[in-house]
Amino acid sequence: MRAALALLLATVLLVTGCAAGAPPPTPGTPPPLLSGVPPAPAADPAAPGGSPTAAFPGVAGQFNGTDIAWLQLTVAMAERLLPMLALVPNRTTDPSWERLTTRIEATERTHLTRSRRLLADSGAPVTNPHEGHDMPGMVTDAELTALRSASGRAFHQLLAGHLRAHLTQSVRIATAERQGGDHPATTALAAAVVRAGTADLARLDRLDPPPTPPPAPAPPQ
Amino acid sequence: MDSAEPHSASRSRLRLATAIGALLVLLGSYVVSTTAPADAAPGINAIRVAEFPADCTYSHRLPDDPIIFPGLPGASHMHSFFGSTVTNAHTTLPDLVRSSTTCNPRVDVSSYWVPTLYNNNVPVEPSIATFYYLGEGVRADVVAQTQPFPLGLRLVAGNARAAGPGDSIARWSCLHAGHVPPSKDFVTCPAGTMLESYLDFPQCWNGRDLDSPDHKSHLAYPVNQACPASHPVHVPKLRQVLRYPVNGDPSRFRLASGPGYTMHGDFFNAWPVEELARRVRDCIRPVIKCGHDGRPL
Repeated sequence: MRAALALLLATVLLVTGCAAGAPPPTPGTPPPLLSGVPPAPAADPAAPGGSPTAAFPGVAGQFNGTDIAWLQLTVAMAERLLPMLALVPNRTTDPSWERLTTRIEATERTHLTRSRRLLADSGAPVTNPHEGHDMPGMVTDAELTALRSASGRAFHQLLAGHLRAHLTQSVRIATAERQGGDHPATTALAAAVVRAGTADLARLDRLDPPPTPPPAPAPPQ
Repeated sequence: MDSAEPHSASRSRLRLATAIGALLVLLGSYVVSTTAPADAAPGINAIRVAEFPADCTYSHRLPDDPIIFPGLPGASHMHSFFGSTVTNAHTTLPDLVRSSTTCNPRVDVSSYWVPTLYNNNVPVEPSIATFYYLGEGVRADVVAQTQPFPLGLRLVAGNARAAGPGDSIARWSCLHAGHVPPSKDFVTCPAGTMLESYLDFPQCWNGRDLDSPDHKSHLAYPVNQACPASHPVHVPKLRQVLRYPVNGDPSRFRLASGPGYTMHGDFFNAWPVEELARRVRDCIRPVIKCGHDGRPL
């Protein structure tokens, strides 16, 4: 029956000349969907053990979708935070704020360098898919403008709010990456982000007590 | 022994004749089934529009995106989900296949999601959310070769990062107020009408990947009414139409992703293979307008 159907379809295609306009099938691959069955995909989430987070073709083996999404987002978030931290020396002379932001900046730069290197290793697109995109925890252009014209206590308050949003979100998504990522060096970086972010949040809370109870710290693992 | 030989020969002749006969019957019915709709003149029965719909009411909201941020709950701006009732950051195809749905038809357990619309910072959900599957924007012979989406295909449309209307394919208009010109950003809809958003997904697939590292490059839009050689497989054009129960001054509106021109849509296909294949065969390829059940209207 299957053979008869195949013959039938071949006959129909020949008779009607439909095949002439069809894209040339890849040798060895049955034309998709004449049978209604999709061709075997390169990354099949239905395959045992597979998931949408499975590695993409052309992307170095051990990185899954979560690893790549987290690296891209971590780079994008750091690139948003650094311009804000660069404002600090000109807008405050408070040594405790300078100390905290200098420490956070150094940590962010270290993590940014490692994230970029891992992203390059993964073979994923170098272009930042979150550029110009206001994601949770990111400082927007409007907020950056407001910071540029603030000083003293007002500046400290705005700065504290943005730092808290950034660090909280960093710790949240790094915690998810530790659980959902596959690539050992990437999950190790996520662990470092969780550690540093949690410690910096505690320092920030001492300097600027949060208006509401702080979010639960990431579970230790 | 003597009679065995001719008997056997006649039996194989009979088998051959039966096989050919069966083939002719199949061929005949195939030709009839594929050509009859095309022969049906407009105005007889079929409405000559290649289309079938899924109407999927609002299901839930989460700051998750299983395509762009798989495995990272809370990483995204707020999304409003339609269709499958289970979608979150960890969702995989088997989750969708097993899930219930807000769609009519109920067989569509796919997941659709968009950035949440806010009116004065209060979330507003569409009162009507229709996902049209269309055969248009390409030549008739390309429509006639439309293939169903493969199970598990992930599609995104629009530009969440659009810095201005020039980067956007969003389209905002007013339901029941056709005189208001459509725009890539929010429009002012008269009292009594609804703000509506149209978004068309790419309809040319590379025939290989269910997703790609940038989540876009495995699909493409048509060029000169046909699919480009890099993306040769023509699939239905998914058109997302959302009707929001708001009107008036658009300065009160924002999307979770930003201004109106950042409108985007995500689609994770989980239609049962046979249900989708039937609709493509009976509605899209022969250019017939079908209802939610995938039967001609």
